[in-house]
Amino acid sequence: MTPPGPTAGPGDTTGPGPELGDRAEVRATVTQADTALAAGSGDVPVLATPRLLALAEAAAVAAIAPRLAAGQTSVGIAARLEHRRASPVGAELEVEAELTQMDGQRLVFMFIARPADGSDQVIGAGTIERVLVDRERFLARAQTPVVDLG
Amino acid sequence: MTEVRAEMVANVWKVVAAAGDTVADGDTLVILESMKMEIPVLAEGAGTVARLAVAEGDVIQEGDLIAVIE
Repeated sequence: MTPPGPTAGPGDTTGPGPELGDRAEVRATVTQADTALAAGSGDVPVLATPRLLALAEAAAVAAIAPRLAAGQTSVGIAARLEHRRASPVGAELEVEAELTQMDGQRLVFMFIARPADGSDQVIGAGTIERVLVDRERFLARAQTPVVDLG
Repeated sequence: MTEVRAEMVANVWKVVAAAGDTVADGDTLVILESMKMEIPVLAEGAGTVARLAVAEGDVIQEGDLIAVIE
């Protein structure tokens, strides 16, 4: 019988699990590779919205990383993002994510992106939803054929 | 007789129990997959699996019959 919830394999250490208020920050400098032009998401050379989303996801992942059990990880299931200000190549930004809701394996983070110079400007903000899964089991499931949802 | 029904739209990932099996309260009958998660469907009482209405790979809707426990 399979126990409910995320399961760690034999020999895995048990993490304490994520807690509300867990937070982390990532910093990045916009390079040519991060632009909408390079990402294919637009045709101007400023920070691409999908790159901002990737930074927000990275901050969310980092926020709970110290608390996960070996063999456990999280995967993204939903996101809401407002991209309010353009960031040119060379701009430095910091993106902070905080765990604000937990519902079983489902985790909701709020994030905010600001210039790294400490100004109050908001480059972007939104929410990231992720779920806790067992890494090996998740990857095994991902290998099964896609079901036609008709 | 207890009918076990789906609480959400999901993909049937694993069928754990079989018709004729004796199950205890809390035993896993099937494992669904929804929003990238594995969601076990548990027996809500002891009995015998009279019928298993789903197969692995099935897409089920909220309210669909999964199993009958007698």
